This record gives sequence, structure tokens and C-alpha cells, in this order.
Amino acid sequence: MKWNIPSLEELEDVVWKCTACGNCKTTYNFGPPPTYGEICPSGVEFGFEGYMASKGKISFARGILDGQLEWTPEFVDAIYKCTVCGGCQNQCELDHKPFIPEIIEAMRRKAVEDGVGPMPTQKVIAQSMRSFNNPYQGPRRVRTDWTRPFKKAKQPIKNIMKEDAPILYYVGCTGAFNLPVRNLPVATASIFRKLGLDFGILGENEICCGSTAMRLGDVDEFKRVAETNMKIFKDLHDNHGVETIITSCAGCYRAIKKDYTLSENYEEYLGDIKIIHTTDFLYKYFKEDKLKFTKEVPWKVTYHDPCHTGRHLLEYSIDEDGSQQWKGSYLGKSEDNCLYDIPREMLKAIPGIEFNEMERIRNNSYCCGGGGGVMTGYGDWAAKNAGIRIQEGMDTGADQMVSICPFCHYNLNEGAKRIKSDMKLYDLVELIDMAL
Amino acid sequence: MTGMSKETKVDPLITKRLCEIVGDKNATDMKHVRYAYSYDLSFVKPKLPDYVVMPTEVEQIQEVMKFANEEKIPVIPYTAGTNIGGLCIPEQGGILLDLKRMNKIIRIDEESHYAILEPGVSHAQFASALAKYNLRWSWPVGPPSASTSSNAICHGIGGLSGRYGLNSEEITSMEVVLPTGELVRVGSCAIQEDAWHSCLPLPRVDGLFTGWLGTTGVITKIGLRVHPTPPILKVFTTSADTLGDMGAYLRNLGNYEICDDLTGVSWWLSQVPIPYPYKPKPEEAPEWISFATTFSWTEKEKEAREEIWKMVMDEEIKKGSSLKETVYPEEALKARTQLPSQIVGSTKNYTKQAGAGISWPGTFTPLNKWEPVYDEWKKILIDRNLSPAVRVTNYRGVHYGMLRAMIPFPKKEPASVENARQAIVDCLKVDLDNGGIPYKPPVDFGIEINKRAQQGYVELLKKIKLMLDPNDIMNTDKLAL
Ligand SMILES: Cc1cc2nc3c(=O)[nH]c(=O)nc-3n(C[C@H](O)[C@H](O)[C@H](O)COP(=O)(O)OP(=O)(O)OC[C@H]3O[C@@H](n4cnc5c(N)ncnc54)[C@H](O)[C@@H]3O)c2cc1C
Ligand code: SF4
Ligand code: SF4
Repeated sequence: MKWNIPSLEELEDVVWKCTACGNCKTTYNFGPPPTYGEICPSGVEFGFEGYMASKGKISFARGILDGQLEWTPEFVDAIYKCTVCGGCQNQCELDHKPFIPEIIEAMRRKAVEDGVGPMPTQKVIAQSMRSFNNPYQGPRRVRTDWTRPFKKAKQPIKNIMKEDAPILYYVGCTGAFNLPVRNLPVATASIFRKLGLDFGILGENEICCGSTAMRLGDVDEFKRVAETNMKIFKDLHDNHGVETIITSCAGCYRAIKKDYTLSENYEEYLGDIKIIHTTDFLYKYFKEDKLKFTKEVPWKVTYHDPCHTGRHLLEYSIDEDGSQQWKGSYLGKSEDNCLYDIPREMLKAIPGIEFNEMERIRNNSYCCGGGGGVMTGYGDWAAKNAGIRIQEGMDTGADQMVSICPFCHYNLNEGAKRIKSDMKLYDLVELIDMAL
Repeated sequence: MTGMSKETKVDPLITKRLCEIVGDKNATDMKHVRYAYSYDLSFVKPKLPDYVVMPTEVEQIQEVMKFANEEKIPVIPYTAGTNIGGLCIPEQGGILLDLKRMNKIIRIDEESHYAILEPGVSHAQFASALAKYNLRWSWPVGPPSASTSSNAICHGIGGLSGRYGLNSEEITSMEVVLPTGELVRVGSCAIQEDAWHSCLPLPRVDGLFTGWLGTTGVITKIGLRVHPTPPILKVFTTSADTLGDMGAYLRNLGNYEICDDLTGVSWWLSQVPIPYPYKPKPEEAPEWISFATTFSWTEKEKEAREEIWKMVMDEEIKKGSSLKETVYPEEALKARTQLPSQIVGSTKNYTKQAGAGISWPGTFTPLNKWEPVYDEWKKILIDRNLSPAVRVTNYRGVHYGMLRAMIPFPKKEPASVENARQAIVDCLKVDLDNGGIPYKPPVDFGIEINKRAQQGYVELLKKIKLMLDPNDIMNTDKLAL
């Protein structure tokens, strides 16, 4: 397959658009009343300007491009100390805005290409991807462990390779292998059952979406799994009746929906398949009154917007041919794909739920700290940052936090433990399942 | 990008000592960290600091200063580096003192209307805290993430300067670490530890630290006067064909001292973004457009302001002025009245088309000199294919007049950077010769100022500098003395 994944050199023109104004270092809205908050987990933890938001990351890119900065172990470490959350990107208004995460990842791709990246702990992921097709060093057969309750109840989940179904539930590695998050696929499948949906899973044949590899700059590994997945998905569509792929993982969703489009063959392979996040999928049933919440969940909750179902899905319009402003200028953004209102609407509709909003939400949500390979590369920092977010949740008076990403799920629970908070992170599907 | 000057020498023993003072995580000599501090938005040539230090306590700053003074190492105070004049770019290497982690709002006195801030407090942080008390500050048209105290000590200007004057005039007290490490206080807090309300009626020693561009001491706390926010905003927007007509109107209206902000901008500056390279304005478009921001407590007060404004308009029109009431472009007006502003903060309205660079000849120029200087600037800028994106503003009625051209340029192209630099320095010379004075001046401007300065004044500056900073370590060479 042919891919259009830009190198740092190819992004040089956009790198030179950054003024170093530092607007990206904090979130701020005029209001009234005006609101302000930290937005960059990396800046909060490490402080120096290079670590601060896109201003800092672009200074690294600039330094590489103008020959001032050469790889040192500390420098490589610095480019990986970023959750690629896009919080900084949301604050910038210049023409390089749409490319900010791309610039960060292109630096990582360069580091990998030059044989210096990713970080040693993250190399384990790369190795695991090669040996196990997942970042958790999980043997294939463990992938289906979460399905045991269904087997036990004599209602096994369809293996889509053996039995056709219109819906593929693409579970994702985190839900399947990460023990504390296992209830997420269980709840998802339970809801699907309650709705009477005909769905199947790839089971032991599921492989990683490639998101983590991409975030770490390991483009070869990303391409390998992405291409395999695209072929599998096409085969499922052509030969097993799959029309829709549902995923409850924000990372998988972003990868399949966005990163895979960097392949020139995307339309040919996935053009006829609908790819949708569980939350978005369930919303249709909710609106049609088919998802009826009959039980009370008497909890005080707040909601955390994952980066990957939020601002990572902003669509940026660019004046490609120069007919509106000038060639390559950034014109604006659309939030249409971002899952902001949908999860909140469903959450608030659950009987007994008392909902309190945090200050930093939606486009300005404060990252949990786990993305961009940080959870594996810098677990301690990831949990520390998650503790900050949990504290923000607690400050609203909520007892529990809800989100729609298994990564955030794991990391925020680690953060809660770290600050000895009783607050727990639940996935929205867990609450929906309880309410059905 | 203009080339980086050669590497200065890093001494691991110095790094070790700095780490001992502020902790291993807060001091470094690693190049990738230093690199991010080597440039800013302006045309000023990038230069690397040798060390970066992020203190969290006043005592740490004292220790750093004592050590630097002993070792004769330059120290450059830094909060966000957005001054548009290369003022935090180290001329001689040394220790970059990044103060962003000292960001506590120590007090907001809602009765006496002042606040005490640490240097790392940003406009955004301060704005959201003040709003809780319905209080405000004179926000600059710059990045919300930049420091309020740095703005004040650099004679910053903002949305209330039409009424209250420069932001340095709002300083009520200061705590400062001297270049030799001693801690001093100026203003009322020097007499009674907890009294931060006024610099007066004491001798104005706060002047030793304002307008000195970080060359005389490190401000560690600052008291700033804040103001109540009246609920009714009314912005009068007008246009005129010439700066002559616009200037006459601004002077006339300025006499009544009813505006928080009274500003005229050339057509090029009213565009979002400023056109780069220069493009002629459409024939039919007026060359000048202005906004006069007023705040009132009651409808009647607003009507009274409106009455004055109408009277001024009538007077000017009777004189044959081309002045007209007009609609100001919406996004540009928002960027100027909804402060601090993310739109200007991200420099969208200035440099989006050019890419990466902006600099200015930013000056205080008497109101009656605006027109001749503008005419010269226009020639200089258009000759170099740059838009004459000029702003004129009245401060404190008609006491100071600001005249500034905002010049965007693409940083990727060294020739374009140099083109802009030369244009800006040429503009500055014209302004200086007309009695204007540049603010937040880069070294290139400092040289031109000092060339024209009275010798006695220059000697006095040198004496003061020597008294406070015997080893000339603070932001060395920034004053071009
Ligand atoms: C697009 C744009 C528009 C702007 N508009 C305006 C405007 O309308 N009005 C205006 O006034 N400014 C404006 N500015 C300039 C600047 O943003 C503000 O003045 C800002 O508040 C400066 O803060 P800073 O944190 O960036 O200061 P820095 O650039 O970090 O520092 C400024 C100077 O102060 C010194 N310094 C910093 N901290 C200390 C300390 N604690 N003790 C001693 N010296 C110190 C530094 O060495 C340097 O010389 C604008 C900037 C931009 C990019
Ligand atoms: S990334 Fe954007 S907001 Fe951040 S410093 Fe650069 S131009 Fe400013
Ligand atoms: S992507 Fe997130 S962590 Fe990385 S620099 Fe931007 S705000 Fe910081």
C-alpha cells in the first residue's frame, strides 16, 4: 500500500509558521467571565520552554531542521515526554495549527529512523508488537479471556471469522489485555446483547490497530498492522457481511478513522465500511428510544473528554489551492466528529445521575497523561498527571469520573490511587449497562 | 532563519552549583532546553543562553544572583519572552532565569483595589482571578500567557491606558532581588511588610526597576493597582481618509478623557491578518479606522459619553474632516476589545500570512507628530514591500501618543528578516528625530537612542547601573550603553 506520512523535512514550511508567541501554553477564554487553565501535561511537569506546549515542541523541530540540535539521549527523551494530546494545538491560530501533532510525531519518526527512538521502555512495545501483535506482550489466546462470562452463561460471542455478522466489535488491545479495563468490553457486549444486535469479534485473530506504534514514531510497525487490518476489514466486508466496525477504544477509533486515511488505498479498503465509536453508535438507539434506562445509578459524576474522541477528531479546513486566502492557509475547524455532547447527553439521561462539569472540558480538556506512549514510557509521570485530573474532578463535588477511553480509564484510576482518592473512572458503557 | 551565533562555553561545575541551588530538575545546560530560549518573535539574531534555571523561591533567586555575581556570569530574567524586542535573548550567554514557576497571586485586595503578584502570573491567570471580584487590569493586546508583572515593569500598555496611563504607573510596590543578591523592597511594603498599596509619597525608587529591561534586578513580587469593571461597554468606531483627520479627531476626543482606549489603525492593521507582502488598499476603503472604548456604570453615563462623542464628531465634520461613523471589522474589533485575547495572543491578526516573525517600531510619539512620521514610515515600508500596518493611540487623555507599525515577516527567509529589520530601524530613526521614544527597545534601537541621548543622561544611567550591578551581569548589553 502507498502511504502519505510526512517526514519532518516535508513539514519544514509549516514548522516555520510558529511565532513562539506561547499562546499554546495555557487555555484561556475571554468568556465573560474569563477562564484559564494549564493545558500541557508536559509543560506542567517539566517546565522549561522546550517542554511547553507546541511552542516548545516546534522549537525542537526547528533546532533539528536548522542543524542546531543533534540527538542526545536527553533530547530523545524530551521529544517523547509529550502525550500528543493536542491541547496546545487547540490554542494556536496560525497556518501550522492543523499539523501540530504531525510535527511532534514526525520528530519521533525521525528519531526511530535514525535509530535513537523510541525510549527503552517503549521499545518493549515495539518488540511486543512484532512478537505478539499487541503492545502488552499478551499471548493471542488471552485476547478472548474477557468473553468468559458470556461463554459461561452459554451465550458465547460470535467469532466473526466463523459466523457472519453485520457488526464487528473491534475490542482493542487495552480492553482485552489490560486487566483493570476488562469490564469495558464486557459491558459493551452486554449492551449489544440487550439490544439484540447481531455482532461478532475477531477474537484471537484481532491484532493491534497500530495507534501506539504511530504515536511513538514507529511507522513501519504501524503500516504493517494497519495494512493487515485494512485487508482483514475488507475481507470481512466482502465475505462476511460486515457493514460496521464498532470500537470502544478512543485510540483505535482515532487510528482507524484518521491515521488509516493516510493510506492512498483507504477508500478501496474501508470506503464502504462504517467505522464508529461505541458511544456514537449507541446514541442512535438512545435517540430512537431503544436504549431504555430502567435502573437507577445514583452517582455524582463528572465527565472527562478523551483527547482521541475529542480534539483529535477536529476537522481542519485548509485553503489547499489558495482560492480563499492563500495556499496552505488554515481557514477554520469543525467539531462535527468530536464526541462532546453525545456522551454527556446519554450520561445525564441515566436515572439518578447527578452531573458536574469540570473547568477544562471539550476542546480544552486536560489530558489524562497516558497518551503518546507516555503511559508505557513514563508510567510514574502519567499517573501523577492523572492525579491532577482526578483532583479536578473531585473539586466539582463529583464522586466518580466517567469517560469513553480504556487508556484514560486505566491511567485515571492509577492517578486516583496515587493521590489516594476514592474517585474511580468508569466507562460510559459500564454505567449504561448498569442502567439497562 | 538568521544564523545562530557561535556556541558559548558551558561549564559543568556551574551547572552543578545551579542544580544545588534550585534542584536537579530546575537547572540545566542541555542544548535542546537552551535552544528554545535562543530566539523570539522578533528580528533579533538568535543567541543561546549557557544555562537555564527555573527558581521556585525568592531565596533561590538570591543564591543564583550571589553566585552569578561572584562568577561574573550574565543573568537574563524571563517570564514568557513575548516582548517582541529580543529582550530575553542573551547577548553574552549566561543564565536564563525562567520565572514561570513563581506564579502565585498572593493577594487581591477588593477594597483597596490592588493585587500582589509573583512574576510568573500570566494575564490569563490574573484575568480569571480578577473577574471574580469584577475587577480588571489594563490588558495588553498580546498573548494571554505572558506575564503581567513583566508587562508592568516594561512600561507596558493596555486596554485601559487611554484612561489610566502606562501599566508601570499602576505599580504600587515591589520586592526585588538586586544583581548582588540582596533583597530590597520599594513602595509602601518597604515601610510596613504587609502594606502594598502605594509607591507614593515615598521617593520613586521603583523607577530603578521599570523600563530597565531586566538589567537592574529581578522583581519577585509586585503590587499593582486594579480597577472596577463597569457593566456597560460602548465602542465608537469611525473612519477617516487621512491620519490628519483621524489624528485631529483622536486629539479632540482625547481632551475629554472619557475613553479607556482611543486608538486609530491604518487599513493594513485592521485586516486579519496584516497583508504580507504589501498590498495596496482598495481605492474606496478609508485609510484610517478607529475605535473608542468606553465603559459606563449607568445608561445615563453612557448617554453622556455618547453626547460628548457626537459633539466631537460634529465639530470635526464641520471643519471639513473626512471622518465618518463606521463599522469596525468584527474579528479585529473583538481582538481589541475582548482582552486578553486569544486571537491576538496567537498573533493570528498580525503574522498569519507572513509566518513566524513580527517586530515593531513601537514608540511614544507626541500626538502632533503622528502624521509626518507616518508619511515617512509609509514610504520606507512600501518601498520594502511591507504593509504600513500602523497604530496610533492616546494614553491618559492626550498625554502620551503611541505610534507603532506592526511588521510581520517570514522567519524562514533570512533575507526577508533582514529586509524587515532594516525597514524597522529606518522607521525608528525617523521617529526618534521627531521626538518619539521607542518602548521595549531591542539593542538595534538602543544604539539609535543612545546616539541621540544627552551625554549627562547616558552617564547617569551608567552610574546607576554600576551602583546596582557592579559586575554588569544583569541582561548584559541590553541597554546598548
Ligand atoms: C502579538 C503581541 C502583541 C503585544 N501587544 C502588547 C501590548 O499591547 N502592550 C504591551 O505592553 N505589550 C505587548 N506585547 C508584548 C508582551 O507580550 C507583553 O508586554 C508581555 O506582558 C510581556 O511579558 P513576558 O512574560 O513575555 O515578558 P518577557 O519577554 O519574558 O520579559 C520582558 C522583559 O522583562 C524582563 N523581565 C522579565 N521578568 C522580570 C523580572 N521578574 N524582573 C526583572 N526583569 C524581568 C526581561 O528580561 C525582559 O527584558 C505584545 C506581544 C505580542 C507577541
Ligand atoms: S504553536 Fe502557535 S500558539 Fe504556540 S507558540 Fe507557535 S504560533 Fe504561538
Ligand atoms: S501535545 Fe499535549 S503534552 Fe504534547 S506539547 Fe501539546 S499540550 Fe503538551
